[in-house]
Amino acid sequence: MLIIRPLQESDLDALYAMAQSAGKGLTTLPADRDLLLRKIRHSRDTFDQRCAPEAGLYLFALEDTGLEECVGISGIQARVGLDEVFYNYRLSVTVNASPELAVHVRTPTLHLSNDMTDTSEICSLLLSDSHRGGGNGLLLSRCRFMFLDHFRKHFSEKVFAEMRGVSDQDGRSPLWDALGRQFFDMDFTDADILSGLGSKSFIAELMPKFPIYLPMLPDQARAVIGRVHDNTAPALKMLQAEGFNFNGLVDIFDGGPVVEAFIHNIRTVRDSFDRTVMIRSDRAPASTSDKGTFMGASGQGARAQEMMVCNGSFKDFRITTLPADCISIDTISLSKEVARALEVEAGDRVRIAPLKDASVNTIYSGRDSNHAGKSFGA
Amino acid sequence: MWMVRPAKPDDLKSILALAGGMGPRLSSTLPRKDEALAARIEQSVRAFQGTTDAGESPRFLFVLEDTDTGAVRGVAGIDSRAGHGQPFYNYRKDALIHASHELGVSRRVEVLYPSHALTDHTLLCTFTIDPALQGTDAFELLSRARMMFIASHRHLFTDHTVVEIQGVQTESGEVPFWDSLGRHFFDMDFETADQHSGALSKTFIAELMPSNPIYVTLLSQDAQTALGQAHEKTRPTYELLQREGFRAGDYVDIFDAGPVLEARTDSLKTIVSSLTGTLHGSTSEEGEQCLVCGGTQMQFRCTLAPIAETLKGEVKVPVRTWHCLGLDAGDPVQVSPC
Repeated sequence: MLIIRPLQESDLDALYAMAQSAGKGLTTLPADRDLLLRKIRHSRDTFDQRCAPEAGLYLFALEDTGLEECVGISGIQARVGLDEVFYNYRLSVTVNASPELAVHVRTPTLHLSNDMTDTSEICSLLLSDSHRGGGNGLLLSRCRFMFLDHFRKHFSEKVFAEMRGVSDQDGRSPLWDALGRQFFDMDFTDADILSGLGSKSFIAELMPKFPIYLPMLPDQARAVIGRVHDNTAPALKMLQAEGFNFNGLVDIFDGGPVVEAFIHNIRTVRDSFDRTVMIRSDRAPASTSDKGTFMGASGQGARAQEMMVCNGSFKDFRITTLPADCISIDTISLSKEVARALEVEAGDRVRIAPLKDASVNTIYSGRDSNHAGKSFGA
Repeated sequence: MWMVRPAKPDDLKSILALAGGMGPRLSSTLPRKDEALAARIEQSVRAFQGTTDAGESPRFLFVLEDTDTGAVRGVAGIDSRAGHGQPFYNYRKDALIHASHELGVSRRVEVLYPSHALTDHTLLCTFTIDPALQGTDAFELLSRARMMFIASHRHLFTDHTVVEIQGVQTESGEVPFWDSLGRHFFDMDFETADQHSGALSKTFIAELMPSNPIYVTLLSQDAQTALGQAHEKTRPTYELLQREGFRAGDYVDIFDAGPVLEARTDSLKTIVSSLTGTLHGSTSEEGEQCLVCGGTQMQFRCTLAPIAETLKGEVKVPVRTWHCLGLDAGDPVQVSPC
């Protein structure tokens, strides 16, 4: 069974191994044991509520309970730009117009901005090679939306993700070569690592602060602004399916886009609903024990839709996935083993959301349907 | 003989012919169209007559005349106030030091700031001469006659004088600095922009340029090389102005990045070395070759002549010089050695 839970210090070795194999692309999790340990401790303090909510770093582990090992990680930073300054370029337009000259020229322009300051960021998604596929990446990403939904008061209304921009196999970024390098005199990867290590003040000290008129940059640099790295395209697609959109900001180093969404608009959040836990006898198979079983949208015979089931605990947050056919109108039936893993008992409420993008059966019409019914007097 | 005098309405055709012989020059203040040039000459006449409209600043236009043929072979001007009421745009070359304490690096970042700090300084402008006369006495006369005029009408001009020098342009007419910067904001080549500039005003065009500073490092290599460089063909002008005491400062032209030369008006060589005396005739052609000028308003004349001086402050010039200046014995003149 795969389960999402808060990251622990005992996960350090597994995390280090994953960070090492991820290579240079992932700057928020460099393969540096001390730094990773600091991050884990920060996350522990956050879940134990030993640090201010706005300073929180929530790191989730995907644990394979069979292996008793962490095989993936994802995170939420409660607020960015508090200790350090958080930089992006805003891609805007300068219009140069003169009726007398019949000139109307639009010049795309990059403005250095700190617009994401005080906003929650989803970050640090890493999945072990052995567990790629089968919706594990989706689970790691979407588990965060269930957490955000449960504990909205700890986060900003809006949440964003920085997507990795374009670079070649050698880690060379066309935008960096045309822009950043002119001011830094160092390689993209070195600068990116420095940035990941948390030393961000150098950015403020060295980056150009005046707007950059894009026509002055070479074509290959302009072409990558707002574009994602090929490896990140699936992640972008997934976030777009959740309702995230490009917000006009790009990474100051590689030009990768920032995508954002309001938490209440995120699809996982909108499609989630609550059910009461029923513990079923382990002997009876799920699909026949319960007369009120509903199948996924794919209908009889096909495999039931995978659902994320979340216990709603802050400190001991847990999510696992189950087939939709264990859900009935008011209840969800869990095996003892699953209930133990989720740390729930019979009668507890759990929140459920579809794992994959397939359209949700109308039966799971969302937990707000009751409210809607009331307001329309139905 | 060569003589410099105020431009008159009759000179219109000759001046147009001179202007037409030059390539595109966005920074030139010499209009190419009949009406615009006629208006400009009228403006100059008013300036010489001291009847400049209220709210206008005097703009003087001089021509170089061959007194033997009466042909006009050059034109040059002084704007008593650069921009004459509008902002006078330049880029100011400046540097930012981007230093990181954390990384122990310090880097000089060159930046061009749009500036109109030179607005209202006295501006030498519109210098255009028949190419055949480059580097001759006539060339020096036309350029320096303006300094003679300033020396004898010092109160009309400011303490700082500036000159814009044409920047780098290829033989095919491309301007690297324009192509790397201005072009993006106009979507037109230098020549087209130049035509608009002539028809409207340089300020009009300048105000359509980006308002934010420009990082030099993001300009093309050719544009960076051209920054602050004078066009090859302006070398004689440049050298003459350097001898006068002009120096390239931190300002460059907003379109072609040609240098703006600056000087303190009272330190200009012609002005420092000039002295006043009274005119007297001489039968001798002996004497030191000097610039000599005199006459008021539209009768202002400046020419080159061998001059003998007496201890009484008398300036003895050959009779034909006397005729050329159109003055009588005893009239005050200004003299400066070549």
